[in-house]
Amino acid sequence: MIKNYLTIALRNFWRNKLFTLINVTGLSIGLATCLVIYSLVNYDFNFDKFEKEGDRIYRVVTIFTFSGEKEHNPGVCGPLPWSIKNKVTGMEVSAPVFRLLMPDVYIPKDGEAPIKFKQQQKIAFADSSYFQLLQYKWLAGSPKTALNEADRVVLTSDQASIYFPGLPFDKVMGKTVIYDTIKTTVSGIIQPIKENTDFSFHDLVSYQTAFTHLSWRMQLGLNNWGGTNVMRQLFIKLSPGTHTEQIEKQLNNILKMESNSRPGRTQVFSLQPLSQIHFDVRYGAIANWNTANLTTLYYLLLIALFLLLCGCINFVNLATAQATKRAREIGVRKTMGSTRTQLIGQFFIETWLTTMFAVILAVSLIPIILRLFQGFIPQGIKFDLIAQPSILLFLFLLSILVSILSGFYPAIILSGYKPVDVLKNQVVVGNGQSRNQWMRKSLIVTQFVIAQFFIIATIMLSKQINYAVTKDLGFKKEGILTVASPFKKVNAEGNRVLLNKLKSIPEVEMVSMGNDEPSSENTSSTEAHYLDGKKEIKTDGLDEKFGDENYIKLYHIPLIAGRNLKPGDAGKAFLINQTYAKMLGFRNLNEAIGKNIDNFNGDTRMQIIGVVADFHQESLHSPIAPLAILTSTNENFKSVFHISLKSANNNKWHNAIATMQKYWKQVYPNDDFEYHFVDETIANLYEKEENTVTLLKWATGLSVLISCLGLLGLAIYTTNLRTKEIGVRKILGASVTQIVRLLTKELILLILLAFAIVTPIVWYAIYKWMQGFADRTAISWWIFALSGGFMLLIALITSGFQTVKAAIANPVKSLRSE
Amino acid sequence: MEPNMIKITNLEKFYRTEEVETIALNKLSMEVKKGEFVAIMGPSGCGKSTLLNILGMLDDPDNGSYLFNDIEVAHFNERKRADLRKHNIGFVFQSFNLIDELTVFENVELPLIYTGVPTAERKKRVEAVLDKMQIMHRRNHYPQQLSGGQQQRVAISRAVVNNPKLILADEPTGNLDSSNGNEVMELLTDLNEQGTTIVMVTHSEHDARYSHRIIRLLDGQTVLENIMI
Repeated sequence: MIKNYLTIALRNFWRNKLFTLINVTGLSIGLATCLVIYSLVNYDFNFDKFEKEGDRIYRVVTIFTFSGEKEHNPGVCGPLPWSIKNKVTGMEVSAPVFRLLMPDVYIPKDGEAPIKFKQQQKIAFADSSYFQLLQYKWLAGSPKTALNEADRVVLTSDQASIYFPGLPFDKVMGKTVIYDTIKTTVSGIIQPIKENTDFSFHDLVSYQTAFTHLSWRMQLGLNNWGGTNVMRQLFIKLSPGTHTEQIEKQLNNILKMESNSRPGRTQVFSLQPLSQIHFDVRYGAIANWNTANLTTLYYLLLIALFLLLCGCINFVNLATAQATKRAREIGVRKTMGSTRTQLIGQFFIETWLTTMFAVILAVSLIPIILRLFQGFIPQGIKFDLIAQPSILLFLFLLSILVSILSGFYPAIILSGYKPVDVLKNQVVVGNGQSRNQWMRKSLIVTQFVIAQFFIIATIMLSKQINYAVTKDLGFKKEGILTVASPFKKVNAEGNRVLLNKLKSIPEVEMVSMGNDEPSSENTSSTEAHYLDGKKEIKTDGLDEKFGDENYIKLYHIPLIAGRNLKPGDAGKAFLINQTYAKMLGFRNLNEAIGKNIDNFNGDTRMQIIGVVADFHQESLHSPIAPLAILTSTNENFKSVFHISLKSANNNKWHNAIATMQKYWKQVYPNDDFEYHFVDETIANLYEKEENTVTLLKWATGLSVLISCLGLLGLAIYTTNLRTKEIGVRKILGASVTQIVRLLTKELILLILLAFAIVTPIVWYAIYKWMQGFADRTAISWWIFALSGGFMLLIALITSGFQTVKAAIANPVKSLRSE
Repeated sequence: MEPNMIKITNLEKFYRTEEVETIALNKLSMEVKKGEFVAIMGPSGCGKSTLLNILGMLDDPDNGSYLFNDIEVAHFNERKRADLRKHNIGFVFQSFNLIDELTVFENVELPLIYTGVPTAERKKRVEAVLDKMQIMHRRNHYPQQLSGGQQQRVAISRAVVNNPKLILADEPTGNLDSSNGNEVMELLTDLNEQGTTIVMVTHSEHDARYSHRIIRLLDGQTVLENIMI
């Protein structure tokens, strides 16, 4: 019987080639999207699932409260890892990890210059407890002893092969690896963890090493209960049966005893479960900060489901539209003794077969879909059907789900025909009141709602990002580039020489030294107090921008009151912005000049010497905050060159940059010359949103494509169905225009209905999204009108060809064929 | 005296729309003996097809009794009717009702599939019947590649492949020219002579002459019965 079903299904597909193609294409786009997004979601949800008893592993994190605002820090204060060893009960393992900040790694070579690996990541200090937390396979060395001494390092086999290509692991043991200046000896080789993990360190330097080198010892902050560093993390494994609260209580008691409380500020340790580390953006992951964003994952899933739904809708619509064609077959089968269950089974097999074709096409579409989702796909993600049986299983289950979604309704409708009716040709076709038609129309409206949602959201998001990127932020951003000195070895004297050389380049208009651009991703902030005689105004988050006397000139930031910075102002005086001046209560900005700010940075008294106009110091997500612009004696705060180029010489910039590079190499011969244009850096602040827009554009394109395919199918079907009606109407004198109007009226009504439904939904969604921007563009009515118009146009073009063809056909022919 | 295959008593069938109720069968009673060949005639709308559908258990009566081989089937549910139908009754339609997507062989095979006949046995029986109907050479053709007469021969093959006790034919020659029509009637007569009971609805007096008995209907009632000599 199955063979008979398959035979008839295949012949039906062949006979209705166009409809099959529409169904298969629509479904395959939905399936491919689902598949890619499944891999993505599956990848993220499978992080750190391999650890034995992983449900007992936690990271100790610190939650600060400043004036009621919470701040989350993945690190702990320096002394904590060492002071809990004998004091806290209920812990099986406590493993401190200290991430090294992008050291250069050198591998010495006999008689040659060492091989350099620049700014390496995923390198940490750890001790043997790390290997109690995570079970590695050891290829050389022993977990108990490898990290027990100073200046030892354990490498993953992959990393060992990078540092010492071709050398067997037992020969790598005892080799030297230098991290910036710390010389270490390889004391162990471990197999990297194959499963997805945020514990992706590949160089583990013995913690003792940090104790023996002064510069590192200071960073460990071994006696500083007040300082918390994001790089200094602590992992613990609870003893069976211990509750997190018990540990948190003990940790916080130690903190209370050891540290001095500061008014207006609290500090609490909390245990973050291993399972949450990959998703909690507040703390970041372990070996890098890249966490997965759950909301994004859910949005992606939603997009995949919507696209799949559009594909299924095409299937249902075309299947029910064609139902009358199949009616006779159903009647005959029933007459021959088929039961309804058997018929439902038959249609399910047909749907499943279509789905399988779509699956095959989907798999071949995957490389394309992967490209579309590029911005969302982590590097570690692979797509290999054979090596990943879970994907095959997912695909199989998905094909069943799609078959049920698409096949259920048509199967019920088709199998419900009464043989007497169909054999007497009494199955109602083209009756506007029938349940089928009603269902079909609802589904078309659903498709249009989805497509229009994507269209409107895309236009609106693009508008907001365009607004953010092109908005006058309050300073000049064109024709300015920044060059940062190597951050760990700023050569102050060299920088002064370089500054003069840069100034001498003819195309260069002005050079300033400072750190961040006026708008930057991260802005440092500090606390400040102002006492106006009666009341004290405390500011916990006073943003800081460091620059010299040329900074505001170069960026065209207007000085509204007072004077500009001078070289001698470091540590004594600064400029503030209008917002801060207003916060301090100065109605006349000139009144602010000469006033003092106490406790700046905790202990410094600074004088306000000038007020500058407000500008956006971060992306438009954040409102304009109180800000100080100051010079510093710390070389790190004046290590970035801000260089403005003469606008008349646009085409000579290339030469100027080449000259800069030449001068750079004279000061920093071992470091690459990197420059960034400020306007591009600012545009990059919206990279995440740009990615979202790219994704939405594709979702829009695909949903419109699928919907239009379905529409085309229905247009072909309905015009065929109404051939006789059209013929009769033409013979009775209807014009082509009247016929076209007759055929398109319903489509227009459906689109308008979809538009009415989608408008409030999409308005609300955009409104919520826009709340993430402190400065936002208007949700304009024309976007809705444009999108509705676009959808209408696309739909009319899609169905138009068929409609006009039907309308201009010779009625004699159509009636004869009846 | 042969026993009854069909005995209906006071059979009623109404068709209702929102406004009108039409009586299709009005307290109709009749009998068909095993091995009989009965023709049912009457003007359009007299209830011929309704009667045939009820006899074929494709439709159920509103009132009255229908004994099929002495079993009361008037109020059988869909499943029981389907079961009884597929084992006992073959259908021949005016418009052939072959499935376009299946070949001649596959169309004829269909009833055997639904009665669960094994593949090898199916092949044997289908080939035997196609041979008998002289359409074997067309076994791999699709219905639309055949002439009307050939299509009806396929339809008859399909109706008889299960060796039904009863064949219900609804204007079997209605779409055929006279020579093809005669051929079909000869086939039905042969089947009847081999013991199959036949009830045929027809407009054609010529075709009706092949039967043993003509039942004439008007407005859902029997008005006349002619015994053919």
